[in-house]
Amino acid sequence: MTTTATPVLLEDTPLGPKAGGLYRHQNFVTALVAGVVLGFVGWIVSHALLQGSNWGTDMVVTVTMVGWVLGFLGGMGAFNAPFRWVIGHDQTHEDELYAAGVTQGRTRYWKYCTDHKVVGTQYLVLVLVLFGVGGTLAMMIRTQLITSHSSFLSPNSYNAIVTIHGMVMIIATIIMVTGPFANFIMPIMIGAKDMAFPRLNALSFWLVVAAVPPLLATFVLGGVNAGWTTYAPLSVQAPPAMDAFSMAIITFVVSVTVAAVNVITTVFTMRAKGMTMGRLPIFTWGATIGSALGLYAMPAFLIVMTMMITDRATGTSFFVSNVGGSGWLYENLFWIMGHPEVYVILLPPVAAMLEVASTFSRKPVFGYKVTVAAFTAVAALAILVWAHHMFTTGWAPDLSPAFMLTTEIISIPTGIIFLCVIGTIWKGSIWTRLPMYFVYLFLWNFIIGGVTGIYLSDVPADNYFHGDMFVTAHFHYTLLGGAMIAAVSALCYWFPKVSGRMLNERIGKTAFWIIAVGIQITYFGMFWEGFQGMPRRVAYYDPIFLRANQMATGGAYLLMIGWLVLLYCLINGWRHGKLAPANPWHSKTLEWKVPTPVPLENFLVDPVVTSDPYGYGEPEPAPSRADEASPEPEPDRPLVPTGAGGDAGEGGERS
Amino acid sequence: MSAGAVFEPDPLPQEKPFFSRAAGRIFIIWLLMTAVGVFIGMWAPSHLLPNMLSGDGHTVVVTVMLFTVLAAPVAAFVYAVGAYSLVAWRRKDGGHPDEPPPDGPPMRGSGPATMVWLSVSVALVVVLLVWGLSEFTAAQAAQSNTLQVNVTGQQWLWTYSYPGTGVTSRSLVLPVNRPVQFNVTSEDVTHGFWPAALGVQVDANPDVVTVIQTTPDKLGGFTVRCSQLCGLYHAFMYSPGAVVTPQAFAVWLRAQGATAPAAAKTALVGSGAPA
Repeated sequence: MTTTATPVLLEDTPLGPKAGGLYRHQNFVTALVAGVVLGFVGWIVSHALLQGSNWGTDMVVTVTMVGWVLGFLGGMGAFNAPFRWVIGHDQTHEDELYAAGVTQGRTRYWKYCTDHKVVGTQYLVLVLVLFGVGGTLAMMIRTQLITSHSSFLSPNSYNAIVTIHGMVMIIATIIMVTGPFANFIMPIMIGAKDMAFPRLNALSFWLVVAAVPPLLATFVLGGVNAGWTTYAPLSVQAPPAMDAFSMAIITFVVSVTVAAVNVITTVFTMRAKGMTMGRLPIFTWGATIGSALGLYAMPAFLIVMTMMITDRATGTSFFVSNVGGSGWLYENLFWIMGHPEVYVILLPPVAAMLEVASTFSRKPVFGYKVTVAAFTAVAALAILVWAHHMFTTGWAPDLSPAFMLTTEIISIPTGIIFLCVIGTIWKGSIWTRLPMYFVYLFLWNFIIGGVTGIYLSDVPADNYFHGDMFVTAHFHYTLLGGAMIAAVSALCYWFPKVSGRMLNERIGKTAFWIIAVGIQITYFGMFWEGFQGMPRRVAYYDPIFLRANQMATGGAYLLMIGWLVLLYCLINGWRHGKLAPANPWHSKTLEWKVPTPVPLENFLVDPVVTSDPYGYGEPEPAPSRADEASPEPEPDRPLVPTGAGGDAGEGGERS
Repeated sequence: MSAGAVFEPDPLPQEKPFFSRAAGRIFIIWLLMTAVGVFIGMWAPSHLLPNMLSGDGHTVVVTVMLFTVLAAPVAAFVYAVGAYSLVAWRRKDGGHPDEPPPDGPPMRGSGPATMVWLSVSVALVVVLLVWGLSEFTAAQAAQSNTLQVNVTGQQWLWTYSYPGTGVTSRSLVLPVNRPVQFNVTSEDVTHGFWPAALGVQVDANPDVVTVIQTTPDKLGGFTVRCSQLCGLYHAFMYSPGAVVTPQAFAVWLRAQGATAPAAAKTALVGSGAPA
């Protein structure tokens, strides 16, 4: 790279008319068409071959969904580069630049784009869409529960909605931080030009997109009536929707695996000079450890859903007890995925929130090494706690004390996270900007989620609470009140870098207060239901639970308003917000030292790192270091938005 | 952190970062919040949980109380520091809305604070564990004069049969002060056998018999609900239950069609009541 006065930006490279080859003609629309066509072909062929067989319908649905996924990815262009490599016509440099989005302007967001910032932005929008879908389903559930015997939803629709609400939210929360921020922000944080595997990065995103239609198709295929846990044997007997559901999960697991490998490889191999593991920003640690845990956990989900499909479509009997299988096998495999997955969701947002706490307390992250050790300990213990979901199943009662032990021990490293947050805040200069508000809300909620978790870890108490609304309230406090609020904090923090614009904090703080109050009312209502003994996932209930349910539903409507105000705040900020300077928070991590919008490949000069990014209140680094660390944004450069509000791809304003 | 660089000393006191005037005020907030937490812990379980009819049920109430009271000081500490930080350490921005306040002290960690935090959480976990294990052992202890009840779940109802009497019922009637063992199974999919007021729960799995025991010790009615989503009418899968006197239990068994000797034998064996 050159260091001339007016550097030539990569995105300004002129490309020939044939750069990109087939990629030029591929985008989201061709992907949809190819997906539908191949899905249809799969349906026709499998239907013709399997007509009259015992397992026909399930096999047809499965083949159709496989056709959809492969067709969608092919139409997107996912297989172009590998195919060209196989036939000996590897991509040229021009082709690679085209794939990274050069010359495409805003349309690159609809393409199989290898630029990590485009993928991050795509993930962010997808996450918001998924939260919209999951939230709508949640509101339908709460609306049904306004009265004890509402006729708003039929029991079958209710069960289907409960299932898909759960699964959509699980998918959305797994990717809500590692998707947008581990892709957009993390490579810049560690001084990398992109992720280690840019094409796999695009693949991981478009695989999640491909998984969404099968998930929503379950509503027209009879509905999955077994809850997001889809316990066997009920799920083995479920309508063909279950095949689509399984295929959606298999697709999603491939995506998470690919993404996790990418994050880990990036962190281990792409760090800038001087970015030792001990200087990694704490978010990078959280994203890496979370990804590593995902790499352990998610394959179990793929296995269990593959076994589910073969049970349903080919007559195997892994989970059918009267022919040698066992529902407990399903439950074990499911929770071997399911509990580590909770920490896959939790660790990245919590780590991101520690960056926020540090920046807005103007203090270093408290106990950096202790925090990293705590993350590692959480991840290690997370693989040993799964059967606390099975205390009341009757499976291996002699192991219950062991799982009670591991579950209660995991509260020690989890508690360390609180120490790190309050230690960071301790005697800081608390700068109460919008992201910091959500840090405090996280503290409030996650304590409640944690304390209610210890009742459930205790076997005798779990004998009462298992399977009732108390559990629902508990994990919503941890996943929504904890992880999601931490993710919102991270979103408000990085929004200026991602969008190039500032959020309107008055609107944001209005949303904050509505959300904060809404969460407490909704989930205290659910705790009340749970204390009284209302089972989960019921469409109708005993009128003795009426007032608790009305409290929860009222709170849910308030919460919905809060999320909508926050959504408005985001859209408004993205379209009309004040243009953001390169480092609005005066933070010290590398992503704030590159210009906004971030140029393709991020750094004009390869950065050299000489200290960790938490030198608040410490001596100013020697002048030479500032030059070494990264290119400073040109101070008189006009501010340019990126993403929806403007266009980073052309880059014309910067020359 | 190279030596010789310009370093302006921070205005905040640096000598004793963890024992300052702030600590006293935080202590007072902590005390108040702990009191609130302890009050909630003492009040909520006994008022919000249903009327428990067995030793296991009472254990649930006491466990929730104990855990809340133990957790209250920890939660209150986090809340107290959070609340105090917002009041005392909040800084105006540095002269301009987009300028940050001056940096806080460069406190990168504290060994003593970490050790104290770790020791307290380890101690609390040990207490939780000892409590859980002791209750667990008590719950597992076998009894001699146990009443057997076979519980069968199916979509979407419960059936209870009392071996030796020929009685099969859709409602669960139990004599007071006599151990009962539920042998639970399912005809179709997985259900959750949950007589909430008895403080026990176990899944009903097809082709498997799962066993739980408890001893009702109070008279009263309760509801058995299904706690595991089992299909279309999961919400309607519940049945009435009652804990009655041994005499009333014998009468009920006869009314259900048991012969008098069988009813008397099943109802009164080991109960201490006159036959």
